[in-house]
Amino acid sequence: MNAGQKSARRIAASNGHLPRDTICTSCRHRLSHQPRRHAATAAAAAEEQLPPPPQQAMQHIPPVTAKAPAKAYRLLASPVLSRPPLLTRELTSFEKAYYLYQKRLNERLAQPFSRYFYYKKGTPGDVEWKRKAKARQTAARDIGVYNAYGREGWNDEVLYGDQTAEPENQVDALIRDAEGKNIVDDQPVGDADKDGEAVTGDATVGEGQRRELQKIEVERPMPRMTEADRANDVRSLSRKLDRSLYLLVKNKEGRWRFPEDRVYGRENLHQAAERILIQSCGINMNTWIVGNHPVGHHAYTYALPILSKLAANKLVPTSAAARRGEEGEEREEFGEKAFFMKARIMAGQADVSKNEYGHSEFQWLAKEEVKKAVTPGYWSSVRNMLAER
Amino acid sequence: MLPSTLRPQCHACALRQQIRHASLLRRPKRPYSFTQLITLSDGSTFTHRTTSPQPIYRSTKDTKNSALWNPSSQKLLNIEEDEAGRLKRFRRRFGRGFDAEAMEQGEEAGEGAETVDQAQQDESLLDLIAGYGQAAEKTGEAAGVQDEAKKSGKGKGGQK
Repeated sequence: MNAGQKSARRIAASNGHLPRDTICTSCRHRLSHQPRRHAATAAAAAEEQLPPPPQQAMQHIPPVTAKAPAKAYRLLASPVLSRPPLLTRELTSFEKAYYLYQKRLNERLAQPFSRYFYYKKGTPGDVEWKRKAKARQTAARDIGVYNAYGREGWNDEVLYGDQTAEPENQVDALIRDAEGKNIVDDQPVGDADKDGEAVTGDATVGEGQRRELQKIEVERPMPRMTEADRANDVRSLSRKLDRSLYLLVKNKEGRWRFPEDRVYGRENLHQAAERILIQSCGINMNTWIVGNHPVGHHAYTYALPILSKLAANKLVPTSAAARRGEEGEEREEFGEKAFFMKARIMAGQADVSKNEYGHSEFQWLAKEEVKKAVTPGYWSSVRNMLAER
Repeated sequence: MLPSTLRPQCHACALRQQIRHASLLRRPKRPYSFTQLITLSDGSTFTHRTTSPQPIYRSTKDTKNSALWNPSSQKLLNIEEDEAGRLKRFRRRFGRGFDAEAMEQGEEAGEGAETVDQAQQDESLLDLIAGYGQAAEKTGEAAGVQDEAKKSGKGKGGQK
């Protein structure tokens, strides 16, 4: 318990009943309950309060009926559901060049590859290794044709426009090696090189060329670009795999926002965020609300106060008091304050077809796309809680 | 020039000879390392540095196909294989009263003899979630609600 809470409690205790206009429902509820006390302090407190002045006693009686509606802000919880990046980012050209340089430098600094430890002499694996290593002049496969111990060992920088440092090409070289090919294409020793002298009847495959006994097919990695990327399908979760995507819904007024709703009854922001995700985007999502604290907030004041009734929510058991009253509490609201709760999606997909808030669409957007979709005021509140990547 | 009595004396310097050769720094013994492409069971890949000369490593069991790491995946749930129909015949003969869990869940293997009462439409949140799996299983949609987020996990990882 910190000092702030204590002093608030003291104020609440000394002033008697708190007027309902000054604070929100949950704060009033909390303050009106006396803090739990130990026996000694309770006795002391009782001694102090034994002779209650009649005026104070009068103050303690809560007003039975309030004529004017309570004045408050509309308290909203808003889960910011995000899909984390699934791929590592693209490297910059400098990073690619740097890594290639470091790998070639490592060729000169590390101990030479101990071939006999891995391939016993005379085994087929050994023969295969020797054949492939001869073509690339080194043990490594992803640094191009480079001999660290040869006369050209100093020449370890690639020329402008060389594609050796590209990660795609390095993976390609690994796959070529696994398929039994050399990392670079062999010099054609076919009929085309022999002045039209037909040996095998093929222009590229000649006598000296090694023939593939069996073709080994290695499955290639999936591309970074997916079908959803090409179609720019903003409803798909397999778009922009190296970015964080955020779930936005189009509300009744036609504005794109994070899903949001009132906090009902005695539920807290965490519970409210879970409930809102289900009520707005369906239950076909495996989600996780990351913390109990909001990651951001958005305050907005209405041009004119709105008189609204607090209805009950069927998924919030503690809002049953309002449900029993049928009409619910009336409130004059000056504006709204939305608190954003960080959430992650593990599996599943949003579905607004059965939502209870009148959302018409949903989108999974990256940060810069969120900026285009939302209003400037909303963007200034949410921009700092969205991940750049 | 100060007199020799005032000059600081360095006895050690006088005794020792100056050494100008470099001391030997042994090269640290780092084994040769290769770049290897790891392919996980769902097809996602990444490269890493290793001493193994194997260019590609495919894993058969990892976090991508383990039920522990994919609790919401219907595909990885323990699904009974009954190709020869022996379990079916056993159940036809002896019933499945002993199999209380299957009775509750109303598995498809139960030949539709037991029906799950869907009438209980409780308003509580947990019941809503628990009821969803049953409804999907009944209509055979369970295989259809594959997680799109998991599927999109395929793709090539970047450099290490």
